[in-house]
Amino acid sequence: MKKNPKTLKLILFSIAGIALLIFPLLAKNSYQVHILNLVGIYMMLSLGLNIAMGYAGQMNLAMGALWAVGAYTAGLLNQRLGLSLWLTLPCAIVAGGLVGGFVGLPALKVRAHYLSIVTIGLNEVINIILVNETKLTGGVDGISKIAKPALFGFKINTEQRYYYLILIAVIATFLISRQILSGRVGRNFRAIRDDYKTAPAMGVNAGFYKLLAFIISGCFAGAAGALYAHLNAYISPDIFEHKTTLFIMTLTMVGGLGNLNGSLIGSFILPVLQEYLRAIQDWQYVVYGLAIMVVVLFVPGGLMQVFTLLKPYVTMLTSRFNKLKSGTTVGEDSNVS
Amino acid sequence: MRELSVLVQTIIGGIGIGSLYALVALSTSMIYRSMGLINFANGSIYMVGTYLGMIWYRGMVMGLQFSYWVSFIIGILLCAGFGVVMERVFRKLADVDLRNMLLGTIGLGFILDNLMIIIFGAEGFAVKSPVSSKPIILGSIRILPQNILLVTVAAILVIALQIFLTKSKTGKAMRASAQDRDIARTMGIHVNQSNAITFAIGFGLSAAAGILAAPIVYVNPAMGSAVGTKAFAGAVLGGLGNIPGAILGGVSFGIIEAISAGYISSQYTKGISFIIVLVVLMFMPSGILGEKQVDKV
Repeated sequence: MKKNPKTLKLILFSIAGIALLIFPLLAKNSYQVHILNLVGIYMMLSLGLNIAMGYAGQMNLAMGALWAVGAYTAGLLNQRLGLSLWLTLPCAIVAGGLVGGFVGLPALKVRAHYLSIVTIGLNEVINIILVNETKLTGGVDGISKIAKPALFGFKINTEQRYYYLILIAVIATFLISRQILSGRVGRNFRAIRDDYKTAPAMGVNAGFYKLLAFIISGCFAGAAGALYAHLNAYISPDIFEHKTTLFIMTLTMVGGLGNLNGSLIGSFILPVLQEYLRAIQDWQYVVYGLAIMVVVLFVPGGLMQVFTLLKPYVTMLTSRFNKLKSGTTVGEDSNVS
Repeated sequence: MRELSVLVQTIIGGIGIGSLYALVALSTSMIYRSMGLINFANGSIYMVGTYLGMIWYRGMVMGLQFSYWVSFIIGILLCAGFGVVMERVFRKLADVDLRNMLLGTIGLGFILDNLMIIIFGAEGFAVKSPVSSKPIILGSIRILPQNILLVTVAAILVIALQIFLTKSKTGKAMRASAQDRDIARTMGIHVNQSNAITFAIGFGLSAAAGILAAPIVYVNPAMGSAVGTKAFAGAVLGGLGNIPGAILGGVSFGIIEAISAGYISSQYTKGISFIIVLVVLMFMPSGILGEKQVDKV
């Protein structure tokens, strides 16, 4: 029997799809589903960062703040005007994109490590505004009692129900990212990342694409923020501090920069790992830091690089296995060819 | 007249805290210059240096207790030794690209911060100042002796460093290998060794800053993160890799901070200082004294 690689892929995809769909039913408690919901939100953030940093090469170290912009937009609109998620989500996306573009403005002038300190600074600035504009944002207490959404009278009020909403959002984000990156925009992103001097000479409008990268990551962060605000029902400035930005960056880089699947894998593995590491208390962050160092020093391409490195071995093994099954040994094989 | 004296006093306070940033910025800048590596763990190293000095002052190790200045020197030497060890790790990080370098040093800072929490606990301690806490009054200006001490010692360290770098053979070798690693190597300079010395000096300066700051701040494992970012901003403001630039950047960051805290808004201090750095960088993309950007990415 000969297996068509396409059918194999289809089978794998459907298994993964079914697993994703029935996960909430298998989970032991709603806390596990909650973690998965957070994973989904991190995936969206990580995809956004990956577009800016992995594809366009722009150091966007303000993701935490952009996430906050989305969350606060949704939270405030819900609290003050009573809008539901279906209306706050688009507003949050627009707000995230606008602020993302603003954060990206310095990229027109400064690059690399200079850009990283500038965006770190802007992250701080936005966070300080959230803490101090008490009248608008509620200060350090944040915003509470953000309503859960409902769809045609069906209330999405449990972690399990919210899970499917996030699942749809992640899939949509992933497909949109892939669509963006597969065409002209993606090519131009890679051009300004790989050679920021030659790209403009080749007719790439570098400034426009740099800004666009920031705007896209801002939009994704905005969407993630709105979903987070309605999921958690409570937001406060300390969730979106500099360390959150670093966490999102870590997820993305451990997964693999410049690879969308990497974002998904990194955002899944690290938060789940963190849950398991809770048992060792204070040592968890040390282990975590060591894991980062190992990735950076030995597999700088992230976990996706591990898969690429393993790929030849896997194909070799499967081909040997197939040959063994069909009765030929490996030794004979070399003579035949 | 009163207005003026308040301004002068604010600026003096800013110079005091700024010289702290300048020392850490100098460390960051020297390490950048030697191997093109941005050290985002600089705040953690500053914190580790503070502990390495203050554990002796407070008699936390085997009941050994020394005076402030002996602890100061022990702390600097221990941290310098730590720098020589860390150079081996950083050497590996210098070869990867900027984004990985960033993540690697962040990971390192993570490890250091949390190891210190495990060893010494998350709650910190206050340190008694070696000089009196009564302000010196000059006309209508009041100056804290600790501030004078900070600025004086920082200035002495910087001048000593400058003399070492320009006059001694080792210092010249260090500058040569910072300028061009490969050519320095062909000239018979042991590049790795001179990088190790750079790290020793850089880490020692961070420790000096931390120990000098200990009496005016609360010593705890989280003390490094804010100073680290600000010192990095200072180094960038002055021009990364430029020694006078790091001092200028660090001190001016301190002054900007003090003035915006005193005159504009104490809550928005941090934000305003970062905005000013941003504006300066928009007009001078490689900092005030920085050379034209060299591509190390």
